[in-house]
Amino acid sequence: MANSRAEIWAPELPYASRTWRDTITRSAPWAIALTAATAFIVFQYGAQFGIWKYTVLICWYLALLVAGSLWRSIQWAVPAVVIPALAAVWMYSAGQTPENSWILRYFLQGLAAVLWMGGLLLLATAAYVLHVLMKNETVGRWATRLTWAGTLMGFIGLGVRWRETYIGHPSWGHIPVSNLWEVFVLFCASTSLFYLYYEQRYRARALGAFVMPLVASAVGFLLWLTFAQHMDRIEPLIPALQSFWMKLHVPMMFVGYANFTVASLVGLAYLLTKRSAVRGGTLSKMMPAPEIMDDVMYKAIAFGFLFFTTATILGAVWAAKAWGGFWSWDPKETWALIVWLNYAGYLHARVVKGWRGTNMAWWSFMSIWVVTFCFLGVNLFLSGLHSYGKL
Amino acid sequence: MGISGEMRSPSRRRLLWQFLGSMRLAVNLLVLLAVASIIGTVLRQQESYSSYAFRFGEFWFQVYRDLGVYNVYRTLWYMGIVGFLVFSTATCITRNTPRMLKEILEFPVRQREGAIRAQEHFLELHSALPVPALQERLLSLLRGYGYRPRTEIRDGLCYVAARKGKFNRIGYFLTHLAIITICGAALYNADVPVRWAEWMGTLVPETNFDLPLPKIPHSAWMPLHNLAYRGSVTLPEGDTADVVFESAGDGYLVQKLPFRIHLKSFHIKYYSTGMPRDFVSDVVLYGPQGQVLKSGLVRVNHPMSYDGTEIYQSSFSDGGSLLRMRSFLLGLPAMAAGKLVGKVGQTLKAGSSGYSVSLKNFKMTNVVPWSSVDGHAHPGSPVINLGPSFIYVVHTPQGGAGEFKTYMLPIHRDGQSFYVQGFRATRGAPYTYVAIPNGPHGGISLFVDYLAALQQALNGGANPTPAVLTQVFQQVAEVAAPTMPPEKQALFVRDSMLAMTQMHDYPAPFILRLSSFHHRWAASLQVTKWPGTIVIYWGCVALVLGIFILFYLPQKKVWAELREDPEGGSRLLLGGSADRNKLEFSRTFEFWQKNLTDATEIH
Ligand code: HEM
Repeated sequence: MANSRAEIWAPELPYASRTWRDTITRSAPWAIALTAATAFIVFQYGAQFGIWKYTVLICWYLALLVAGSLWRSIQWAVPAVVIPALAAVWMYSAGQTPENSWILRYFLQGLAAVLWMGGLLLLATAAYVLHVLMKNETVGRWATRLTWAGTLMGFIGLGVRWRETYIGHPSWGHIPVSNLWEVFVLFCASTSLFYLYYEQRYRARALGAFVMPLVASAVGFLLWLTFAQHMDRIEPLIPALQSFWMKLHVPMMFVGYANFTVASLVGLAYLLTKRSAVRGGTLSKMMPAPEIMDDVMYKAIAFGFLFFTTATILGAVWAAKAWGGFWSWDPKETWALIVWLNYAGYLHARVVKGWRGTNMAWWSFMSIWVVTFCFLGVNLFLSGLHSYGKL
Repeated sequence: MGISGEMRSPSRRRLLWQFLGSMRLAVNLLVLLAVASIIGTVLRQQESYSSYAFRFGEFWFQVYRDLGVYNVYRTLWYMGIVGFLVFSTATCITRNTPRMLKEILEFPVRQREGAIRAQEHFLELHSALPVPALQERLLSLLRGYGYRPRTEIRDGLCYVAARKGKFNRIGYFLTHLAIITICGAALYNADVPVRWAEWMGTLVPETNFDLPLPKIPHSAWMPLHNLAYRGSVTLPEGDTADVVFESAGDGYLVQKLPFRIHLKSFHIKYYSTGMPRDFVSDVVLYGPQGQVLKSGLVRVNHPMSYDGTEIYQSSFSDGGSLLRMRSFLLGLPAMAAGKLVGKVGQTLKAGSSGYSVSLKNFKMTNVVPWSSVDGHAHPGSPVINLGPSFIYVVHTPQGGAGEFKTYMLPIHRDGQSFYVQGFRATRGAPYTYVAIPNGPHGGISLFVDYLAALQQALNGGANPTPAVLTQVFQQVAEVAAPTMPPEKQALFVRDSMLAMTQMHDYPAPFILRLSSFHHRWAASLQVTKWPGTIVIYWGCVALVLGIFILFYLPQKKVWAELREDPEGGSRLLLGGSADRNKLEFSRTFEFWQKNLTDATEIH
């Protein structure tokens, strides 16, 4: 009875609030599949695992379990990334190379997959904008599909590139989050992924016309890095980056950046929609209700804040291991603190003082400058220990 | 705070108390701290005072210095803001704790009708069901959503209450207590007593970097049992140290260590591209009586810890390599080449000529791009190994100076080998590189001889025509390289002419070549004693946990009152609110409303 209740009402509302029982029964197959896959990994490779590998495995298991239960699309997206990536790894180990295999050359090689990601996300952006301008639902559906395809290609590319760093020079191998090119791929893919989550959960497809153009400009920058700077070349790691902590610190940071970016552009959407509502413009007819946008902003910032806090702490732990002190007032560290303080201020104003509406949308929107400076500006304009991103 | 408290005019103490724990202050302090932090990122911190003075001019240099802008995060005012934030947060916690504790512990099932109506969401409906059936319906509905509702029947009325996220307030304690803990421990690590002594002037940083250790005045020594410190020391291979230096303002402070560090050796591992892969120091720690306390490797990302201190590999330099050089006087035949021996860091007198040579740096390997040496592209082999190099500065008796960089291995071009010699007259300018051709037996003596003979011929009145140049070379070669074939000779003359024109501005009358060396590294090790760190880690755990609880386990409260309707059926009054995720809760409440309304109408 509890089940049918949620099912009956779900379609009429922007998102369904489910009972716990629903959530658990609906995600049982996912839990079983995930457990089976994890058990397989343990039986197959467990003998070589130390405590850290087990910790990482358990963290991934739990994170995917929760993510898949709360957002069902994860349940097919994970295999859609893992299977092609493993296929590419298998092809490499079977002696195939981009030179003699067209599948690797045009699709699955790290660089090829990333270029597919770029192309698909650019198309998706155009589709989102058309969707809003032409008020055409079909175009909108295609925009969502293209974004999914681009996101998946991005993660496939990163996965395959991880393997590629070992090929030819085993001592170089590293997780591909170590230079500006690699983190930009991560940024594009993860921002799109989180955007898709909010779009789906709030049934707010028109937001894509605001969020995706930023992703598109990141893609543009990525293409410039690729073709003008040749930063897609695989290079060995400098000593300071050879650490287990990098694997945790950087990806978590990007969960934060991605959510802050989404929140900021939703803030922009909010402001423009309000303005358009006054004049009775098209925007106000296509965009979701202001309360919904307000809620997306808050949710994204809260989620980003949790991860950003954790990532900064992990960075501090790493710094303690690598450089002798958990905090050195390195420009990147300091800017991370500034971003953090900024959002702590935002959350206080919203939760404790109960501020809503235009002011908070401005705050959220303007924060992107702070975030972008932390992410990119520090690398380009300031010097410090985080020189991985130097041009 | 009751109404009566507001009616009375609040005392000054009370106002201050309110101000300190106010949200407005908290938000402002957060933003102020963020802005103050920016300063230290736009201006590079802890550079030499002379470079700041050069940049800002004397007046602004002094203003900024007095504000502490050159090391912002160590100033008392910055620490003051942090301290104030800690204080304000502590006030906030103290004030909110009783209220929140009460809220956690007490949750009445019965609620006044007015209070139910005052909830954010509220509904009132009439049902055909009798009270027990409607109550059952409501209870199963709430249970389905994970609540554990309680019921109470009093005076013929049925009350139902439920809440979720009772411990949400714990999240508030955890986050704010964590902030206090983290900032407090960080202030402890920042060694406030020493900063205070520095500010009071009882501790004075020493600004002369050339003083030997025993000569450093006592006022620059930090106490042996200092709470916390972070300093570094540069140790040549084979040396031992028992102090570290902490930079402070324009100078440094000295910290005595409870052990001695001995650097056995240092080495660098490389990737095949010539990029460094790891920096490794092999060290031994000795106790005061000379007993070995610990030994092992200190690598980047792999520090050594001993008794509360952590030793890190922070950088490296030359530790005084022994260099043996030959000097060729320009204008004299190479027979007269002199010998020079010295260590990097020393300044040598060149005989009684008045010239002196300071040996600046030695570098063991130089794998550099071709383009940086001769400006040509070399497809296929973009890098070249030039072997060891050393840098020296020549001071002329007239007070001039020039800086030189000499590579030990030759480069090859068109079958001829060359030594690369860089020079510049001013520091910071790019080097001008000369490629000096080597004779058939290697070495630059053939070139030096040729140069001397040419000068002699020109001084004797000869004209520098191609025929004369060739003829002079043939005379030199007859003695020095009799087997040299003529076409090689022609090439050599051409290359020598090129080198001589490049040497037009050569700022010294001699060339030094490295003949052998004994390499010695120095490692810079950083020693940190930060006992607050472990406390900070626990604070961080509390912070993340607290944030998670605050965001994702929001408190939701529901109260209901059911009563029999005199006209048949029953009446329901339902109110609920959530302190976060309000939109979601309002959707849930809509479900409930539909569901309950539904139930009443089906029957
Ligand atoms: C460094 C200083 C501080 C930091 C980093 C900090 C951080 C936070 C965070 C992350 C939240 C959760 C916001 C949310 O749930 O969305 C919060 C809530 C809160 N903060 Fe602070 N805070 C600080 C100082 C203060 C101060 C000084 C006060 C006193 C006025 C204060 C009062 C509160 C209150 C009342 C809440 C809401 C708790 C609740 O509703 O459960 N905070 N703070």
